[in-house]
Amino acid sequence: MTPPSQINTDAVNVILATDCGSTTTKAIMIEKVDGTYRQTHRGEAPTTVEEPFANVTVGVINALTEIQEVSGRRLIDDEGHIIRPATADAGCDIYISTSSAGGGLQMMVAGVVREMTAASAKRAALGAGAIVMDTIAANDRRRPHEQIQRIRELRPDMVLISGGTDGGDTKKVTEIAELIAPAKPRPRFGKSYELPIIFAGNTDTRPEIERVFGEGGFDLKITDNLRPSLERENLGPARDMIHDVFLEHVMAHAPGYDTLMSITDAAIMPTPGAVGDILQTIAKGRGINAVGVDIGGATTDVFSVFDGTFNRTVSANLGMSYSISNVCAEATMPKILRWVHLDMDERELRNRVKNKMIRPTTIPQSLEALIFEQAVAREALRLAYQQHKEFATTLKGVQQQRTVGDTFSQEAGGETLVDNMKLDLLVASGGVLSHAPRMHQTAMLLIDAFEPEGITELAKDSIFMMPHLGVLSSVHPQAAMEVFEKDCLVYLGTCVAAKGLGKPGKTCFSWSLDSGAKGSGSMAFGELQLIELGVDETAELEVKPARGFDLGAGPGKALTQKIRGGTVGVILDARGRSLSLPEERSACRAAVSNAIEAVDLYGDQPAKVDGRAV
Amino acid sequence: MLQMKKRNTLPALACATFAVLVSLLAASVEAAPPEPPTNLAAIDKPWDGGGVVFVTWDASTTPIDQLQGYEILAKDLGQTPVELADQTAEQADLEAKDQTETILEGEGVAPQEARQRARIAEEADPAVPVVEPTTWQSLGIISATETSYEATGLEKDRQYIFTVRSIGSDKSLSMMTTPTEPVVPEAAWFNLSKLPLLIALCVISFAVLLFVVLARGGMPMNIRTIAGLKAVDEAVGRATEMGRSILYINGIQDMDDLQTVAGVTVLGHVSKTAAEYDAKIEVPTSRSLVMTAARETVQSSYFSAGRPDAYNPDLIYYVTDEQFGFVAYVSGMMTREKPAACFYMGSFFAESLILAETGNSVGAIQIAGTANPSQLPFFVAACDYTLIGEEFFAASAYLSGQPDQLGSLKGQDIGKMLAGLFIIVGVVLATIQAITGSSGLEDAVNYLKEVILGS
Repeated sequence: MTPPSQINTDAVNVILATDCGSTTTKAIMIEKVDGTYRQTHRGEAPTTVEEPFANVTVGVINALTEIQEVSGRRLIDDEGHIIRPATADAGCDIYISTSSAGGGLQMMVAGVVREMTAASAKRAALGAGAIVMDTIAANDRRRPHEQIQRIRELRPDMVLISGGTDGGDTKKVTEIAELIAPAKPRPRFGKSYELPIIFAGNTDTRPEIERVFGEGGFDLKITDNLRPSLERENLGPARDMIHDVFLEHVMAHAPGYDTLMSITDAAIMPTPGAVGDILQTIAKGRGINAVGVDIGGATTDVFSVFDGTFNRTVSANLGMSYSISNVCAEATMPKILRWVHLDMDERELRNRVKNKMIRPTTIPQSLEALIFEQAVAREALRLAYQQHKEFATTLKGVQQQRTVGDTFSQEAGGETLVDNMKLDLLVASGGVLSHAPRMHQTAMLLIDAFEPEGITELAKDSIFMMPHLGVLSSVHPQAAMEVFEKDCLVYLGTCVAAKGLGKPGKTCFSWSLDSGAKGSGSMAFGELQLIELGVDETAELEVKPARGFDLGAGPGKALTQKIRGGTVGVILDARGRSLSLPEERSACRAAVSNAIEAVDLYGDQPAKVDGRAV
Repeated sequence: MLQMKKRNTLPALACATFAVLVSLLAASVEAAPPEPPTNLAAIDKPWDGGGVVFVTWDASTTPIDQLQGYEILAKDLGQTPVELADQTAEQADLEAKDQTETILEGEGVAPQEARQRARIAEEADPAVPVVEPTTWQSLGIISATETSYEATGLEKDRQYIFTVRSIGSDKSLSMMTTPTEPVVPEAAWFNLSKLPLLIALCVISFAVLLFVVLARGGMPMNIRTIAGLKAVDEAVGRATEMGRSILYINGIQDMDDLQTVAGVTVLGHVSKTAAEYDAKIEVPTSRSLVMTAARETVQSSYFSAGRPDAYNPDLIYYVTDEQFGFVAYVSGMMTREKPAACFYMGSFFAESLILAETGNSVGAIQIAGTANPSQLPFFVAACDYTLIGEEFFAASAYLSGQPDQLGSLKGQDIGKMLAGLFIIVGVVLATIQAITGSSGLEDAVNYLKEVILGS
């Protein structure tokens, strides 16, 4: 492996990247075309972590071979090795990889207070790309024997312990360590594997922690405190340590990963960690606030960068196949049904959910099934985003500075960082979003679930390339940025949504594009309108909200901003925020039908679907 | 020519003589004082709160154009023998309290301290005994067209006699009428002017009962988030993470003060959270009774949190009744032990800023709650969160979430809304009245101000 600092980025012409997922290994090739980096070819092959191959590199070579066949460029030599460095028609300069095979990185975290050091530990683990199996805290309302039982049930790849500020509490941190050590949680891989314990808590507690875990069976790593004071969070060292331990222990014990690690030019990253990295790079590079979502079959990941602060959440029970029944239970059937404009009752909806539970990996075969699936997706995304808002907060336990002017507006700590009005870019990925038959459907799924306010660009990850680019950004940021902008993201367009509520039919805002050259008009409350503005096109949007509505400049204040078109165009949304649909079923169906018609959601929609009136 | 002169002199002389006679007559009329009014009567005003007597009379026989008006006079005959006997030490206490309140207002000194100072001052400068008025006191002059007068501002349960005299247009005074029989301006069992208050009381009571019933029936009662109470977990968590104690000050008043009682309620919640987090909570008190109540409350919280073993009564202790002695102790302790969270819940005076500033300087999260308006700005500026007046009293319902308490809180809100409504109506009417000068509106404003809001 060539250290990233020793790579001459100017001399890089061909880059190969793979993402080893649980079922599929996806490979992409990036080439320098006319001075800019572009993603040119892609290939896929089944992941080969399990028997009979039990070697991840087999799947990697297979995926790269597919690219080789498609591109005509020789990438693999006769001995099955990647050819490096690149020549005119063979090999590559950089090879990088991410991995989520075998369930990715699974961690247990612990801290003293659930909302303080334990929350910081969870943020560090999630930010590093891990799935947090459980959080142990002194105030988690479980008795010690219940906590020990839970620790014994879990089989994490590693444990992160935090707690106490520097010079602060030592007693409870030691108590937590004394719960974990005798519980002896068993690792997932290898019987001889010593479970890594990362301690990132009060520096005064280190001798006690060393004593507790020094009896054997653990590989104790000590790093800087996550919360040296309650006013400051220091996640970097803990995240780096998680990454090192991931490579050193988890990957080294996974089949074939020792070989894979030796051939990559940058450290293998957990897939979600890489997605988070690219989102942070883009947000920092463009100076914007961004939200990314990846909805899968079992889980939904939400990433956000607001004012430079990165947060990631994994909603473990919100997904479109294995977790669909949980989505329905959490959201409730009436909430899902409200997005269905067809004449469908709750009983039928339940039958569809049960069918999906029996055959989770099926994809919709009819328009009716698609409408049902997208209704569930809206609720899954909405719930995942709600959980993300609750987790992505300012630090708790921080001393506030007040003036007499704060008498009636005393803001508490732990306020959410997520502000839809400040959101600039919303990126979608995951089957139901990426593979929607029409881009319009992806755009409306995002708008209905996330309820962006003001002016927000909508995009989707074309072929789930973000993990590859995330790890590439650590080696060659320029290439990562260029490919992200040109090939990774498919810009759907821009959503212009007014915040506020009013009476249906009353003016919400007036608008004009390029001083009326590309259209102008007025939106009544409750309306939705689609304006065409093609890919790579931009226009100057002038909007003037009515009194009580806000489009980003303040209530009733006009705003002028350059906006970007896309495959869908500009969606003007005057349905108000927070978005609510009529309670009464027929009125609700009419409202959804109007929205569908306004944005041409299903294209040439038949008058009847499966014999039902639309 | 002479004859002519003689002929002219006679009528001139007659005229002069007539003029002299007229002027003499006029002089004799001016000199006569006006006639006094007759049939004077005085009755105690019925259905009032006492202190008002109606005086009526028949107009003077002197022509009205020769009268400037009537002067009403009263003489205080002193207390009735029964009432004199009823004068109790309670009245003396009330007077003393008024005096101490005045001192309180000025210096932010606790009532006990203020009473002590007042006692010392009284001993040094004994008050001059009040001399009973034995002479007629003028209550006022009214127009000659009036034949009745409402004497207000009289002391309840004292005897008064009244008299009236006419005032001539030349300011001459008539004889005083025969004084009335002694009248005692007593308070009736029901004061009719307080009727709006009774109606408001009925409305609010009904609202409270209604909301209590609705809340028991399962109707959701939403209370807006109170940042100070929401932050209790945060403050206790901070103390836990930093390995430091929590300091709880329950005001400096005794258990007879409502704020102290409210403070003890909040203490129950804070100590339960502290028990759950296994954090140390320290409660120094300035009243022995408060210490006992606080111990009971904290012990009960530790029991309900399932940690009776962690309860330590030694951490809840009495310091001193002396206001500044107590403050000196607490400030010193804060500087030495640097608690991570400080709670100030109760009645505070001049010590509020001393405590809050000390807590701020040691880096503690501070949550205060008081209904003393004069101390609120200090707490707001120096603390992280402050429960303001009503929020502090609502804390109990907010924290417990019990239907009875929530319903009661909602019912009280109706009362506040009514008061707010009357204030808005009054402000609008007074503004219009000031612009238009309408006397009808002025009466309405006065009625609203003095009768409705005044009651």
